[in-house]
Amino acid sequence: MAFTVISAKYPTNVDPTRTPLAYGDRAIPRLNRELKDENVIVRQRAVMALSDYLHDPEHIADALRLGLGETLKICLSDSDFTVRWKAVECLCTMAAYAIGRDSFLKLETIYPVANLFEDRKDIVRKYAHMCLLRISETPPGAASIVEAQLILPLVEKLQKELDEIKELILDTLHFCIQEDIPSALEARAMQVITMLLKHDLAVIRGKAARDIMDLSVSLEGKNMAVECGAVQLLRHMLVDQSAEVRAKAAGALMMIAITTKGKYTAIHSLAIKPLTDLVDDINSEVRLNAIKALTCIAEAPEGRRELLQYTNKIRNHEKDAIAAVAKAAHIAVKVITWLP
Amino acid sequence: DGPIQYGNIMYDRRVVRGNTYAQHTLPVSAQPDPLEIQRQQESRRRAIARKRARDQFRPKSPEPVQGRKHIDVQTELYLEELSDRVEEADQECQTDAFLDRPPSPLFIPAKTGVDVASQIYEGDLFDFDIEVKPILEVLVGKTVEQALLEVMEEEELANLRQQQRTYEELRNAELVEQQRLEEQERRHREEKERRMKQQREILRKEKETAEKIAARAFAQSYLSDLVPSVFGTLADNGYFYDPVERDVEQGFIPWLMEQVSTELNRSELGRLVLDGIIRDVVVRRINLFNTINQAEAEFEGEPEAMKSMAEHLEMGV
Repeated sequence: MAFTVISAKYPTNVDPTRTPLAYGDRAIPRLNRELKDENVIVRQRAVMALSDYLHDPEHIADALRLGLGETLKICLSDSDFTVRWKAVECLCTMAAYAIGRDSFLKLETIYPVANLFEDRKDIVRKYAHMCLLRISETPPGAASIVEAQLILPLVEKLQKELDEIKELILDTLHFCIQEDIPSALEARAMQVITMLLKHDLAVIRGKAARDIMDLSVSLEGKNMAVECGAVQLLRHMLVDQSAEVRAKAAGALMMIAITTKGKYTAIHSLAIKPLTDLVDDINSEVRLNAIKALTCIAEAPEGRRELLQYTNKIRNHEKDAIAAVAKAAHIAVKVITWLP
Repeated sequence: DGPIQYGNIMYDRRVVRGNTYAQHTLPVSAQPDPLEIQRQQESRRRAIARKRARDQFRPKSPEPVQGRKHIDVQTELYLEELSDRVEEADQECQTDAFLDRPPSPLFIPAKTGVDVASQIYEGDLFDFDIEVKPILEVLVGKTVEQALLEVMEEEELANLRQQQRTYEELRNAELVEQQRLEEQERRHREEKERRMKQQREILRKEKETAEKIAARAFAQSYLSDLVPSVFGTLADNGYFYDPVERDVEQGFIPWLMEQVSTELNRSELGRLVLDGIIRDVVVRRINLFNTINQAEAEFEGEPEAMKSMAEHLEMGV
């Protein structure tokens, strides 16, 4: 029965799994206090309520101002699994925003999160990796991850973890590698990722190829890629069904083919024919990478000879809709028809 | 009848098949089917048996005693003539003129049960739809807001990723281009260096060869007048000689010189000896004179000594 008078009793608690939010700006301080409570149930409920509350960016700003970052950091090493899980999820949500990332780096929350990589529960590990992924997307974040020497543990985890988490690790490594290639190569990243080129899931294959492309930016990376036999595997991936995989495989080949050794390895593994097929692909990235790869291969005399037959095919793309593809095609034709 | 015969209905002659419109229902033979007859007999027997059984159970009055007979009797007061004809009597009835049907009286049932009263106080009655609207608005609003936030978050992330992807595409392409050009540059440079080195080698070799040739030519020219100069020098140095002249030079002259020198040596020796003698005499005389002077200086009054000295000196000339 509805009274017009405001009731003195508390409203009914609809959801017993979370604490009711206090009104307005009292919500965060209350949650902050409850998160430090000794009672596990109270902590659990507080953190469940927090994880929904934090989806609003304004709330995130408030929360960080009131010191929630520190509290969450402490919660990461809680003994209860739900508290840990939801705490990492909150950090993950915060890491999607710039202020969240800033506070993350300032409070050095990377270390407790990295400890969670060893957690028994897979959800906790998944959110921990997702959190690091979002952090690594900005250059300072990637720099701090490299500084915390997390590349080696990440590469090791890559071999043993579940597929979902492998995806996240591959993404994180993508950014970390761009930051610091030598330490990644030292951590045997090339070998591990080359193994992943044969994985069943197309997504993982694509990301592995992209990571190899990143690793091959440096000279040692290119040589190591040739040594690990990545060129063969990449060539097989050129005819994959997923456009993403094809694009990234072509990209990796284009990086590797810059060195003379890479060029000749690519030519010997008969990569030219599939690459020329890819030049007419629907996906613009595939076309771009394929044309660039062919440009690199055309630097070698054998490559040039073989590519002279396909010059017209590439010339058609000089009028392509995407500016980058047109330019690349132009350069390719120039290189192929260059005479010493 | 023996064991029950099982048969396939499909092959049973008794089963009617096909169109039944023109089928004869009675069998062709006038004789009834013996099976039919048997069956009818059986059914008759069964009916009789059933009747008998029923009669057995029906309660009957006991059998008449010996010499008596049961007979039906009417025990009514008045004798009635039982006949087929039924007595009839006519009776009429007439309704009143039609009246309007009066209204049915209200049905007021008898009161049963307990009396219960209920009172609606102020504020008890409310319109649910109106009241629930704000609550519902809040609930739905909050849920939708939360959902929107989450969706926007993901959309934002998705847009960022898309942008990142496009950027990365371009970046990779540019990076490759840059590296390729670098590589090309490096290779061209190396090629150039190699060519230049080769060229330099060639030049050096040429120079060397030229020098060698020059040296050879020079040497040749140098050596060309070697022979005459050698001969000239040899001739100058007296390697080509006239034997008589040589002999005179070699043999006679040295002998002559030797003899001359021997002669000169002899005369020099003589002179030396003479010089020696002279010197010796002079020295002795000097010594003697010195001694005399001394003795005079020391001892002036010793003429004996002086005399002896003088004698000595004279003797010792």
